[in-house]
Amino acid sequence: MAIKFERVNFEYISADGSSFKALKDINLEISDKGEFITLIGETGSGKSTLVQHMNALVKPSSGEVTVYGIKIYNDIKKKDRNVKLNPLRQKVGLVFQFPEYQLFEETVLKDIIFGPKNFGVKEAEAIERAKEIIKLVGLDESYLKRSPFNLSGGEKKRVSIAGILAMEPDILVLDEPTSGLDPKGRDALLELFTSIHNELDKTVIIITHDMNTVYKYASRVLVMSEGELVFDGDPLKLFTKKNLIDWNLDLPEIIQITRQLEDKLNIKINKLPRNVDELFNIVKGVL
Amino acid sequence: MKNIIIGQYIPGLSFLYKMDPRSKLIALMLLMVSTFILQNVFHILVMLSLVLIMLKIGGIEIGRIARGLRPIMILLIFTFTFQILFVKTGSLLYELQLDFSVYNILIAVGLFIVFLFTRKFMRFRLLYFLVIAAAIMTLFSLYSPGLYLGTRNIQIHTDGVSGAFFIMIRLIIIVTLSTVLTLTTKPTDLTLGLEQLLKPLSIIRISSEEIALIISISLRYIPTLLDEANKIMLAQASRGVDFNEGKLKDKVMQIISLLVPMFIISFKRSDELANAMEARNFVPGERRTRLHVLLWSRIDTIVIIVSALFVAGSIWVVVVW
Repeated sequence: MAIKFERVNFEYISADGSSFKALKDINLEISDKGEFITLIGETGSGKSTLVQHMNALVKPSSGEVTVYGIKIYNDIKKKDRNVKLNPLRQKVGLVFQFPEYQLFEETVLKDIIFGPKNFGVKEAEAIERAKEIIKLVGLDESYLKRSPFNLSGGEKKRVSIAGILAMEPDILVLDEPTSGLDPKGRDALLELFTSIHNELDKTVIIITHDMNTVYKYASRVLVMSEGELVFDGDPLKLFTKKNLIDWNLDLPEIIQITRQLEDKLNIKINKLPRNVDELFNIVKGVL
Repeated sequence: MKNIIIGQYIPGLSFLYKMDPRSKLIALMLLMVSTFILQNVFHILVMLSLVLIMLKIGGIEIGRIARGLRPIMILLIFTFTFQILFVKTGSLLYELQLDFSVYNILIAVGLFIVFLFTRKFMRFRLLYFLVIAAAIMTLFSLYSPGLYLGTRNIQIHTDGVSGAFFIMIRLIIIVTLSTVLTLTTKPTDLTLGLEQLLKPLSIIRISSEEIALIISISLRYIPTLLDEANKIMLAQASRGVDFNEGKLKDKVMQIISLLVPMFIISFKRSDELANAMEARNFVPGERRTRLHVLLWSRIDTIVIIVSALFVAGSIWVVVVW
């Protein structure tokens, strides 16, 4: 297992001494081969805190996170002075929600090669990677010469994703990668993540609020609610559960339509469809 | 970052909380004036004990004040040692002869390097530093083989000691008083009080409202920007910027990678804030009413009178004695 959470708790402590439990007793295993995981839950449920544990950006208040064989616990820096956490961030690439927090160079090219260079990749090779990756994220090579600050929100987002992809991580974690993108751009990016997942057999973890994304792409879904991991498993199973409402989630559109059809036409559909074509075939079969 | 408590209001119920911010500001100024009037270490000790009594009545933990003093610790230590070592008036209390030679200088440098490398492992670094400094001093005074280089005398005089304590206590009193003000007053109340106190400046065309607005906006954005800085650090750390483990030559790049997004985000924030203020029809300098109006009560008058008496008392003490 590439990432393993064992009884992980995390508390934010504020200046007046009070604390807020962001994670409560999380147990979780994630492989670095071929998983496509979506992480959902209402705002403030601890999703971002959870993923920041995956590359040792924050350390658990209690419990252990094991990332590629390195055990991370609360006072790791005191106990083991020689431990290097930095290399873990190359293995587990984390894209933050707001690109403004990471873009800082004069040109897009310099910004993309910043990550790889930090991990010891030669500049020439990093530039080669940047030229390929900028096309992967749906921009063209002319963008490399532009300033990252004159780009639109969606373009900034793509550049920030390219900056992490250029590090060639084994596990790619994205915090709401599609927020602020138009539907076409969103689908293109999700297709890109799917192809990274399929062709390179890497694990992709996406935080999202969009149930359609969960249902269409994910092979596994994690649900957070008030700091607890309340569901871990197949999306199809999740959407047949009753407590969706308690977790402030809703059904993907395609399931909503199916349910309504069942109601209105008074029929029973046994196998829930994944996409419009499947639904069409089922309905055609029934009629 | 967490031990900066200037500007951090902690709710409470004592008389310090019931006071009007205007009277607190005036009282603070009066008390500061009297700290500068007093010239004698015993008088300032009396003042310190009065301040401590005030803290006790006001229900403020000494621990909180001590945490506020931590950032100026280095300043306190420096002024203290310099006063003790370089004031040469008054009667001589103690003299130490230091003989410098090649060997003991080498050993001292070696001790210092050992200190630099081992201080990380120590729990009480300040204490450790003092022990090492004392060791170096004894080394110079007792052991001086090899090529003789010269002699220096360390002399401690009574005026040096009293002066050192005097300056240290004066600094502690000033910081304590201002910390009390910020601990017991909400930043919004404080700026409102400041605004009203600075009203007379409008005669020389300085708008106290604008000053108050600038102060309250900057105070408001300190925690927000700290929060942003933390997020930027995490985002850059996940791109391999190593804020703890990195080498010195990478530090410049690390700081740039932190500063540029910081600037961009601050500009964006101020732009958004300006828009939000305009959307709510804010016009600088326009006459406006307040939801919470400051109320001057009896306790304020009493405190002002007591502080004024205090200033008068300190003048009397200095003049008569």
